Amino acid sequence: MADINTGRPNHIEDALVKIHSGQWFTWTDSKNKIYGNLRLTEKVGVDDNIVDNPVTELPTESAVNAKLKELQDAWDAANGG
Amino acid sequence: MALSKIDIENMVTGELTTTNGGTGATSFTTGISSASQWRLNTNFTGDAKPITSNWELNDTSGYGSLGSNMTESSGIFTFPSTGFWLITFHCTWYYSGDSRWVEATINTTTNNSSYTTATEGYHFIQQTESGNTYSSTSTQTVFDVTDTAQCKVRFGSRVNNDSTATSGSSSLQLTGVTFVRLGDT
Repeated sequence: MADINTGRPNHIEDALVKIHSGQWFTWTDSKNKIYGNLRLTEKVGVDDNIVDNPVTELPTESAVNAKLKELQDAWDAANGG
Repeated sequence: MALSKIDIENMVTGELTTTNGGTGATSFTTGISSASQWRLNTNFTGDAKPITSNWELNDTSGYGSLGSNMTESSGIFTFPSTGFWLITFHCTWYYSGDSRWVEATINTTTNNSSYTTATEGYHFIQQTESGNTYSSTSTQTVFDVTDTAQCKVRFGSRVNNDSTATSGSSSLQLTGVTFVRLGDT
């Protein structure tokens, strides 16, 4: 997750949470959060119901990296980078 | 030799004397027999009610479960034994802005089907300085688990602003639950 001291995005999870809302993704290994371990969840919780994940396709690795760079550039611009 | 300790559980039988402050008790109940912690290991934005995935048992160095662990499937937690259980849900959020409310909920069922909102905890986020601002709250309930097949619990996080993230970690408790069995039902 983003550096808690600065808030600067520094991990693909920072990008993933901005691509879609809700619990749409999971990891095959939560100790090793790399793109290759990224998976879609089967179910999500919505208004007290458990329903199929509305997200049906993982974003590409390049799209995730591009989103992370976008967030970093925005943070740098807002913080004098 | 001075008497410094009595093995009262194994060596005393019958009724305790009521002299010198004794209670007259004829039986003893053991103390807390089960305690464990689970946590969310991955962030998400927006709502998740219930939180259905990315739960894990605390595995931080030094952590220890007392007794049998809870089990979890699709965000639904099953108790290892009947009894009165203290459930504490601690939830952490972050957002780069202001948000009037964030909500943590504990939902219980006694028929493994229809859930009741046992408790809700609220907080808010008021951005300080710049960037992400963090907020957290805890909410608790005592659940009388009379049947482990029917009595279940699950947890939720809702936010006023969909860009607000519920914060998870695979190395520490940011959003997580503590289960403590207080005694027999």
